[in-house]
Amino acid sequence: MNSNVNLLVGLAIGLNLLALGSSRLPSVIGAVAVQGMAIGLMPLLLESDFNWIVALVAVGTMAVKGFVIPVLLRRAMRTANIEREVDPSIGFVPSLLLGAGGTIAAVALARALPLLPEHAGSLLVPGSFASVLTGFVLLIGRSKAIAQVCGYLILENGIYLFGLLLIRTTPLLVEAGILLDLTVGVFVIGIIVDRIQRAFDSLDTSKLTVLRE
Amino acid sequence: MTPGPLLLGAAAGLAAGVVAGRWNARVWLALTLVSTAAALGAAGSLLLGGAIWEFVSTFPIAGQPLHLRLDAVSALFLALVAIVGGAGSVYAHEYWSNQDYPQSAPRGRMWWSALLLSMGGVLLSWNGLHFLIAWELFTVAAFFLITLERQRRDVRAAGWLYLSASHLGTMCLFAFFAALAARTGSWELGPMRERTELAPLFWLALVGFGLKAGMFPLHIWLPSAHANAPSHVSAIMSGVTIKLGIYGLLRTTGWLPLPVAAPWILIGLGAITALFGIAFAFAQSDLKRLLAYCSVENIGIILIGLGGALLAVADGHAVWGRLLLAGALFHVWNHGLFKSLLFFGAGSVLHATGTREMSRLGGLWRAMPWTAALFALGAAAISGLPPLNGFISEWLVYLGLFDAVTGRSPAAWAAMPAAIILGITGALALATFVKAGAMIFLGAPRTAAARHAHECGPWMRGPMLVLAILCVAIALAPVVFWPLVARASGAWQPMWTEMPVPASLFTLGSLQIALAGLALAAGLTLWWRARGAGAPRHLTWDCAYAAPSARMQYSSGSFAGIAGGWFAWLLQPQRQLRRPRGLFPAIATRVERVPETVLELIFTPVATVILQVSTAVRRLQHGRLQYYIAYVVVALAGLGSIVVLGGRS
Repeated sequence: MNSNVNLLVGLAIGLNLLALGSSRLPSVIGAVAVQGMAIGLMPLLLESDFNWIVALVAVGTMAVKGFVIPVLLRRAMRTANIEREVDPSIGFVPSLLLGAGGTIAAVALARALPLLPEHAGSLLVPGSFASVLTGFVLLIGRSKAIAQVCGYLILENGIYLFGLLLIRTTPLLVEAGILLDLTVGVFVIGIIVDRIQRAFDSLDTSKLTVLRE
Repeated sequence: MTPGPLLLGAAAGLAAGVVAGRWNARVWLALTLVSTAAALGAAGSLLLGGAIWEFVSTFPIAGQPLHLRLDAVSALFLALVAIVGGAGSVYAHEYWSNQDYPQSAPRGRMWWSALLLSMGGVLLSWNGLHFLIAWELFTVAAFFLITLERQRRDVRAAGWLYLSASHLGTMCLFAFFAALAARTGSWELGPMRERTELAPLFWLALVGFGLKAGMFPLHIWLPSAHANAPSHVSAIMSGVTIKLGIYGLLRTTGWLPLPVAAPWILIGLGAITALFGIAFAFAQSDLKRLLAYCSVENIGIILIGLGGALLAVADGHAVWGRLLLAGALFHVWNHGLFKSLLFFGAGSVLHATGTREMSRLGGLWRAMPWTAALFALGAAAISGLPPLNGFISEWLVYLGLFDAVTGRSPAAWAAMPAAIILGITGALALATFVKAGAMIFLGAPRTAAARHAHECGPWMRGPMLVLAILCVAIALAPVVFWPLVARASGAWQPMWTEMPVPASLFTLGSLQIALAGLALAAGLTLWWRARGAGAPRHLTWDCAYAAPSARMQYSSGSFAGIAGGWFAWLLQPQRQLRRPRGLFPAIATRVERVPETVLELIFTPVATVILQVSTAVRRLQHGRLQYYIAYVVVALAGLGSIVVLGGRS
């Protein structure tokens, strides 16, 4: 069971690197979608006996993260008529190196943390840190709003991974709440992206510096 | 009648004045006069022997229970606020009328009421937090009064300088009261002399209150603010609001234990303030700027008195300590009265001629006899000449200093130089006001503006007359006013309660009356002779120059030339000279300007560095979301490493 989870976490880490290294927005969205589904599957694998609430949440997570959000993002992308991240402030190769370095650092950090013995062998903690870092690198390094939304989603996936450590004690309703927040957030960002596009003919957030303070 | 209802009435009247000032000038004037009269009544009843009025309410304001208290020290200052506040409101009725300033006159009335109300709040608050709130309100109200004529650039600059300097002071006061509250566990104020660990807090209070009082070298905001404000505002700023700085220092020194060096520093700062203030005043060519610097000088005299009194408390010399404190307190009143009178006079000149530049005036006494006479009276009083009230307070300070010197205590080392510097200051003050009076009112008019001057109307003349009468009253009957000041001294230092009238004050009072009689007789004789025969008019000897003009009279710069030279190291005058060349020189000019030395040579460079650093830091705030997220990551990483490393060690 644990090896299956580790496999999925490894997949998520690999998708992190794909998202970091790709300049095409559809592949970034695709990576986020697959990562969301992989993460959504985990509660089912972690719970030894079948629990219908857990199953419901897992299915819901997979549906929202794997289908609803990617569809929304693709639609925003088509409306905005952009395909590529053209001039990232952190280039793709440096992003990849940062992501790889971040993953190694996450493993090292996870070793240094005083974890419970049953979590010690799991990749959940390093995977969570690596995803959070990847999310931050995308948020900082990309200028297109859609790429930033993807970064935000990966960041949230990392937090979700960390939350899975507590799956036995925390009610999954909390996770469901996070999911709801996220969906609303993506809706709002979709609307904003649309508005930015109409108002400025560009989705480059680095040009949106005038309305500060 | 007890002070309570009177104070309540005054506060209600002023609060109504804030509203009424917007729409009706006469209603506002009536409200303000009734309120100030009520406040004066409350202060007077307390000073004349009434019991201390106290009001404690459990109803919290800003989280603190309201605690108001009127004792003799507050009452002394409250009386000054009421007198100058009332006089200024009458003066403004004509000087800043709706006809002349339709935009700013209603605003001015509103803020005037707010200023008086908040100053009353400062004087009555017995809770540190409420004190700070009232203090900040009164600073802001004064800012809006200074910038009434805000379409002028120099007025705005003066306003901003005042506001930023005031906030530097307020910051120190915040630190002071907050530290006090933190160490005593309560915002309540009051005597706490036994808590010796509170002594270092005095330095914070010294900077905060000293800045408001205009103590050298923190006076930088004062000249431009007082010169550019409307004259009735200058009058209350110079006469009253800077005294609230003195009030704060009086309270602090009366309540808290002091560092050993504090009295010496205070007396030294007082001497420096007095001397440098008058040196700058003498060099000014702008009448209101001259008066403003002269306020700095008078604050110096008050500080000498206060510092000396503190030395006396520390050494246990009640006799001369009382004299010095009484001199300082008397000077608070006297300076408030005659400085307001002088600023009203300056306003009258400005109203009539449109200029504050003394070298453009001259010969105004023919057109403005009332203003000239009242200004001369104020000038004689501020120069400390007998038989006027400035002499009384300075004489008390001198007497205290001389007693300290002859007492051969260690305090003599401070008292002797202070007395000498006070003497030099007095001489320079006399020269300054001879210059001001002569430039403005004597000689021939130098410009068309001065030729077409006109006397001010009754609304402006009336308040000046009232202030002049008060000056003369204090001068001729100091014995009558002594008990009032003595009560305030008793409230400041409980051991000094029964303070008999010094015997010499009786002698001085009679002498003043005799001198006043002589001066009056001489004046009447001169007037009678001049009226009978007419003053003979001759040209001055002019080296046979064929076309003398009024501009060839002494200018304010040439009058102050010699003494200006003595202080050139301090004043750093900037001169531009273009000598006449050739046999028939066409152009020759000489421009001399006295800069704001302390501001331009010390504060501006420091402020520039601070501004550069702030601008560099401000680049972090650029509006790029990506970098903001990066800041969050860096901060998180930093916090995390602190936790990890801190956990290890």
